[in-house]
Amino acid sequence: MRRESTSQVIYRILLYLYPHEFRGRFAADLEADVAELLQARGTMAMWVRVLPDLCRSVPIAHARARAARKRERATAYHGETAMGSLKADVRHAVRALVKAPVFTAVTVVTLAFGIGANSAIFSLVNAVLLRPPGYVEPERLMLLYEGFRGTAVNKIGMSPPDFIDLTALQRSFSSVGAYRTQQYELSGAGEPEQIIGVRLSASVFPTLGVRAAHGRTFLESEDQPGEDVAVLSYGLWQRRYGSDPNVLGRIITLDRRPYTIVGIMPAWFQFPKRGPQINGEPAQVWTPLALGPFERSQQARGMMYSLTVIGRLRGDAGAPQAIREADGLGPTLVRNYPPFLQGPVNSLMVTAVPLIAEITGQVQRPLLILLGAVGLVLLVVCANVANLVLSRAVTRQREISVRAALGAGRRRLLQMLLMEGLLLTAAGGALGLFIGNAVVRAVPELITLSLPGVQDVRLDVRVVLFTFALSALTAIVFGVLPLVVSERRDLTDLLREGGARSIGGARQHRLQSMLVVSSVALAVVLLASAGLLMRSFTKLMAVDTGIRAPRVLTMQVRLPQASYDGALAVRSFYQGLHERVRAIPSVRAASIQTDLPLKGDGERRAFTADQPIDASAATASAAVTWTFGDYFRTFGVPIVKGRGFLPEEELENRGMAIVSRALAERYWPAQDPIGKRFKWGIAANRAPWQTIVGVVGDVVDGKLGEPPIMHIYVPFAEAVDPALAVPMAGLVRRMTVAAVTDREVAALVDPMRAAIAVLDPALAVAEVTTIAQVMADASAPQRFSTVLLVAFASGALLLAAIGLYGMLAFGVARRTREIGVRLALGATRREVLGLVVRQGMTLTLVGVGVGIAGALAATRLMRGLLYEIQPFDPVTFVSVPGILAVVALLACYLPARRAARVEPMAALRAE
Amino acid sequence: MSKRVPSLGQPPLTAAVFHILLALADGPLHGYAIMQAVEASADMRMGPGTIYGSLERMEDAGLVRELTTLADDRRRVFGLQPAGRRALEAEAHRLTRLAALVRAKRLITGER
Repeated sequence: MRRESTSQVIYRILLYLYPHEFRGRFAADLEADVAELLQARGTMAMWVRVLPDLCRSVPIAHARARAARKRERATAYHGETAMGSLKADVRHAVRALVKAPVFTAVTVVTLAFGIGANSAIFSLVNAVLLRPPGYVEPERLMLLYEGFRGTAVNKIGMSPPDFIDLTALQRSFSSVGAYRTQQYELSGAGEPEQIIGVRLSASVFPTLGVRAAHGRTFLESEDQPGEDVAVLSYGLWQRRYGSDPNVLGRIITLDRRPYTIVGIMPAWFQFPKRGPQINGEPAQVWTPLALGPFERSQQARGMMYSLTVIGRLRGDAGAPQAIREADGLGPTLVRNYPPFLQGPVNSLMVTAVPLIAEITGQVQRPLLILLGAVGLVLLVVCANVANLVLSRAVTRQREISVRAALGAGRRRLLQMLLMEGLLLTAAGGALGLFIGNAVVRAVPELITLSLPGVQDVRLDVRVVLFTFALSALTAIVFGVLPLVVSERRDLTDLLREGGARSIGGARQHRLQSMLVVSSVALAVVLLASAGLLMRSFTKLMAVDTGIRAPRVLTMQVRLPQASYDGALAVRSFYQGLHERVRAIPSVRAASIQTDLPLKGDGERRAFTADQPIDASAATASAAVTWTFGDYFRTFGVPIVKGRGFLPEEELENRGMAIVSRALAERYWPAQDPIGKRFKWGIAANRAPWQTIVGVVGDVVDGKLGEPPIMHIYVPFAEAVDPALAVPMAGLVRRMTVAAVTDREVAALVDPMRAAIAVLDPALAVAEVTTIAQVMADASAPQRFSTVLLVAFASGALLLAAIGLYGMLAFGVARRTREIGVRLALGATRREVLGLVVRQGMTLTLVGVGVGIAGALAATRLMRGLLYEIQPFDPVTFVSVPGILAVVALLACYLPARRAARVEPMAALRAE
Repeated sequence: MSKRVPSLGQPPLTAAVFHILLALADGPLHGYAIMQAVEASADMRMGPGTIYGSLERMEDAGLVRELTTLADDRRRVFGLQPAGRRALEAEAHRLTRLAALVRAKRLITGER
């Protein structure tokens, strides 16, 4: 043969453009024709003819092939083909399942429970832990914090001058940027509202590796005061501007100042992610950090530790290198401080933490435990479905053997059973999706808000498919197992013997026993874990929060700098607000303060006590709340010593303070703390002394179940002037106003809003809530995991009981004849009852034993989640087997009673 | 697509169908021969893909049929079916009438 030319090879490849039917029929002819064309007319002429030909004929051939396939499908469905018997199988399977409603219902619900719970929890875990944050190579991003080594203040933001120094000093990162959360009042068209914003240096967006969806992010030249530009989140753009593409270049009014919109971020973009304790609230608007002359100056040293620094690792640098480098930076930074500050800050340190660890660190363990729990639930579900399907196969032996005798091939029987399994799983899956969706929706908004990276949790299709496939596999494998292991001979034997024997009876019985034991064991593990969480939650709920505020309504206001630039304006606004709220008829007491109890988002400040017990610990950090009005009465915090603030102390700065019991006992344990003094900052600080006039009860601050934090309360009057002197401080601009009513709390919302509107109609009101709600929110994460785990464990318990019941009931049904013989031969009904119960309880006890061993291992992982409860909590470990034994006994008793009621003669005749 | 199949043999025929039928009128041919015949009779260049694509559709419409090949078993040979011959005749009549019309109007120069 002649050698093939390149053109021929190319043409042969091009032939793959045709549908395979066409190619299969004509490829040889086409190639032969082209070869002939080549020979007769030459390469150029051949291609001139063939290329347009391809363009014309390929689409036509595809259209024809499609039409042909469609016709084929249509005819195959109606014809007596393989498809036809499939349809018959479906019809038959539906009929068979409808005829066994209890079996069908229990199996479907079991499957639905497993599929639903797993899909929901895995979707949640996936959204939080597995879905990457969308930044470029997020694992190479790190956050940098400052802190003071060896103190409780070990993780705070970075001071602006330190950030500037660090940018020049560091070697591990290819780029670094800094940001801090800033609340903004958004006004203009529509209701004024408070939104979360973030001020960030121009380098942050490039460090994250993200670009704007529309417009651009910030230029380096815009990162300075006076350049008022803004980038909007996709959500804000949609919500406030109806996704108007012409919004770029327009003005957005933030804190009553005009900002030019330069960009819109993509919909998926969220920054910062939740998780970090500072600057961890996703922003709706981004503005340049724009450090001013003051923040860059030496005067800002030792102040404003509020920036989070983010860095992207240099190409060759790893996280360990960055962590080491950061660790060594502290002393270098201290050398740049003015001499009088170097002593006090000498323990300054810098820590670097991988961004991902920072985002997921706190929620990882509870979520993984939930994930483990649903995994166990899935195992229980599989064991149970296997058991149910096996039992059913036994009752259908006769039907199957009849079919076999009538000539149904093994293949055909398999197909039939397969179809039943598939139908069951499909029904279970559909119901499971329903349940999963409900669970995902039930995830309280607070949880989704407090979890990092979760904007919307949706059912994850892959998980749904996976759980679905696993359950389908279980249903099918165990459904056809008896058929597969049995010989054909067995099938006919069976018919001859009247269906009294099971297919592979002993083997199947062992298998079922094993399945029951394992589902009992798994239920014990789940019950023990749930029990521990429940006990821990009860203890947590019993914790004294230190406040009594059943009828307190609070709302938050923020005074924009543009309208309230001086201390006078700020102060008179709050005074006026307090007066007006106090004047609402149902209000018993009212106060205005910088932060609410239980929220843990207040200011932390260093202070130095006058007569330290231990001189080295003279300086420490305490939570500080600035108050105006009747704070202690409003929140029901008891004054244990001394007195509250006098009205005149509220209005002018007299250097008075009230401290919490924990603080008083730490610094002046055996003395009267009244009249003792402290000052803000370090001993060398030239701040004036503050005199303690009262001691109040400890209040839980932040997380329930953690020891009380030392707390200092100061009249608001003292804060105004110094706080407003610092440009970046939002401290006294953002305050909450709280009032106690003697009527319905909700009825207070409108009068309080009205009181604010009278003073400033343009002012946005945020976070309208009750203290009862704040308390509920504080325990929401624990409640969520406890409720879920209890639900899972109860489900598992129920399944284990059903499994046990099902196995025994089927056993009794199978052995009716044997029982009849025993009774006829003189066995008492009691003995028969005992026989069945003993069989069931033996399996239960084995399961409980295995389960307790498993639970002891599993609950050890939960240590960090438990409050005042040991993982080996005796109460839990005694009550769980108890509960299980009771439930199991019930599950055994019902079939046993049926066995005991067998009429010997009827049973014998029945065969 | 499938809707066009029955009408494939109804006049007026498409150029491709007409010329392929015409080429096959003298006897069964394989693809390349059809291509050559079409080129000769109509001064129309058709590629092999178009030829076989058309043959398939004409087969669906019952105009042509693949013949079990005699000599060169590597080539598929197609022959005219009765329906194909009828379609060709109908089209030929139509064209003749048209040609007569054209003549009657003396549109063809040089003819008297």
